[in-house]
Amino acid sequence: MTRAGITARGGAYLVLGIVLFLPWFTTDFAKFCSLGAIYAMMGLSLNIVVGYTGQLSLGHQGFLGLGALVTANVVAQADLPSYVGIALGVLASAAVAIVLGLVALRITGLYLSLITLVFGSAIATSLFALPSLTNNNSGVQLVRPPYFSGNGDWYLVCVVVLLAVYYLDYRLTASKTGRALLAIKENERVAEAFGIGVTSYKLLAFALSGAIAGLAGGLYAFRSEIYSDKDFQDPQGFALALLFVVLCVVGGLGNRLGVVVAGVFFGILNDLLDRLFGIGWVKDVVENIPLLKGYYGANKGSLASLIGSLLLLQTLLFNPGGIGGQLRPLSRWMTGNRFELHEAAESGPAAVEGSSVRA
Amino acid sequence: MSVLEVTDLSIRFGGLQALAGLTLTVNEFEIVGLIGPNGAGKTTAFNCITGFYTADTGSVVYRGRDVTRTPPHKKAAMGFGRTFQNVGMVKSSTVLDNLKTAQHARVRYDAGAGLLGGSRVTAEERALEQKSDAILELLGLTEVRDLRVGGLSYGTLKLLELGCALATEPDILLLDEPSSGMGPEESHQLGERLLDLRKAFGLTMLLIEHHVPLVLSVCDHVYVLNFGQLLAEGEPTVIQTHPEVVAAYLGGEAPEALAQTHETAEDEALDDQLAHKPAVKKAPAKKAPAKKTASRAKKDPS
Repeated sequence: MTRAGITARGGAYLVLGIVLFLPWFTTDFAKFCSLGAIYAMMGLSLNIVVGYTGQLSLGHQGFLGLGALVTANVVAQADLPSYVGIALGVLASAAVAIVLGLVALRITGLYLSLITLVFGSAIATSLFALPSLTNNNSGVQLVRPPYFSGNGDWYLVCVVVLLAVYYLDYRLTASKTGRALLAIKENERVAEAFGIGVTSYKLLAFALSGAIAGLAGGLYAFRSEIYSDKDFQDPQGFALALLFVVLCVVGGLGNRLGVVVAGVFFGILNDLLDRLFGIGWVKDVVENIPLLKGYYGANKGSLASLIGSLLLLQTLLFNPGGIGGQLRPLSRWMTGNRFELHEAAESGPAAVEGSSVRA
Repeated sequence: MSVLEVTDLSIRFGGLQALAGLTLTVNEFEIVGLIGPNGAGKTTAFNCITGFYTADTGSVVYRGRDVTRTPPHKKAAMGFGRTFQNVGMVKSSTVLDNLKTAQHARVRYDAGAGLLGGSRVTAEERALEQKSDAILELLGLTEVRDLRVGGLSYGTLKLLELGCALATEPDILLLDEPSSGMGPEESHQLGERLLDLRKAFGLTMLLIEHHVPLVLSVCDHVYVLNFGQLLAEGEPTVIQTHPEVVAAYLGGEAPEALAQTHETAEDEALDDQLAHKPAVKKAPAKKAPAKKTASRAKKDPS
């Protein structure tokens, strides 16, 4: 790398840092940005299951909710420090995820997805709704730790945690664990022949995914300053589960940068739409189209899902690499490679199709 | 002490007795061949030995240790390296990553340390890469290092798979049809390579192979399976002319059965070898022209 190259990249990182810091100056917007960071963490969490182990989870909001539930109750009801609450939330989510992982050892594919789907609703209607854990259904109030009481302060906490999770995910793929997971995803027999313990690595993947989701849940509870099971009851709960899957695919399966960008986008999408429709002339235009009259006011959430589905469709049809694929030249440049819009093709068409290995 | 001792191994799949009392021994530094017609149970035997199947009866003893019920990944760590009938590699990864994955059991940091990173992990990862490069150089495949496995030709893949098996640092190597998809010259080269590898790494090998010249040139001892049972064993040259073996390959003693048994090209070659005994003497002579074209095959492995 030339000196100019180092300077340019250093400048790019500086700009990125400043952009990440900007929401600190806001109040309402910072709250949405922390949701963006939390969704990004959920994306990374789900990406471990979907992208790295190749299984679809439709119940990841359950881990988010469990993290939030445990954190809120430990902090508000048991009166323990906030970091203890978050740590216990992480542990609880990881433990439950290991149980799901045990199921995943025997059941894969469609049936595992169904089980995770049922898990998400079942844990919300049972555990999350216990009156003793929800302050008799009125929600558990909790106070953010001192020094981090403002929305902007909490946003910074979320960003720092997100960066730590991002680093962990990078380490995962750069170490033997990531290689092991990929081998297991493609062919368990080959993985075993390479000396990889399929059982333990599958469980490790689920545990990590659950832990990250639980961490996001703890941050989520402090962000809202109240824990209420309503967020996780269907249909909102299932909408969240779908959103996490959509943001993983739109971001690019297995691509951490893309997933994070998509997570942030979906986290702040509702706020962006609000701001857009708050602009006078946009509001006038929309209200003057007879078919759309009153649509936005009545269907706030559904517009975001509509945008999500359209993005999903365009990703699947035209852009299989997702956002991460589009950002790849930039991310490669930022990590010290040459800027190339089109990477040299790594190889020709596959000579051996499929991964069916007879053994 | 023998490296591998398989005693009375049997396994049944529903109504099919895939293996019935297989007993075989592989001694230190030996290359032992396991041959037999299609469906004889050779690969099933491999799967039982490496732990992918649990045998109904019988035992597998590795250097004096009973490993009949040891799971395959633990066996890989103990020193069982294996290849698969069609290629067993991670097709969406690059060649280099496959070789690094194959060294999984030799990595000295644990999963947690890998997640945290640090200089020790970095150094270890670099060592894995160097080892991978050394294997690629040994096999003459350095130019495919950064290519995705899925796009490579079958012959290259078979060779790479051998490289991956080597990367697991095996003590005993079980190769399932290593020469499939290779032409006569390439498979002759493979034979030389296997002998070189045995010398260089002190390997013991058990191989399933259809290609008779290869079996003749590398194997010290051959076991013949038919319908899950041991039909014959002995030195390759003896086996080659064994009347029961010839009958098993040709489908009964009747010579008119010959026309119906030409299933694959390999079988055809085998039939030729077995049916016309003079052709057997030609087998060593085949090596001479093979050497001339060796450089061509090496230049373009893909």
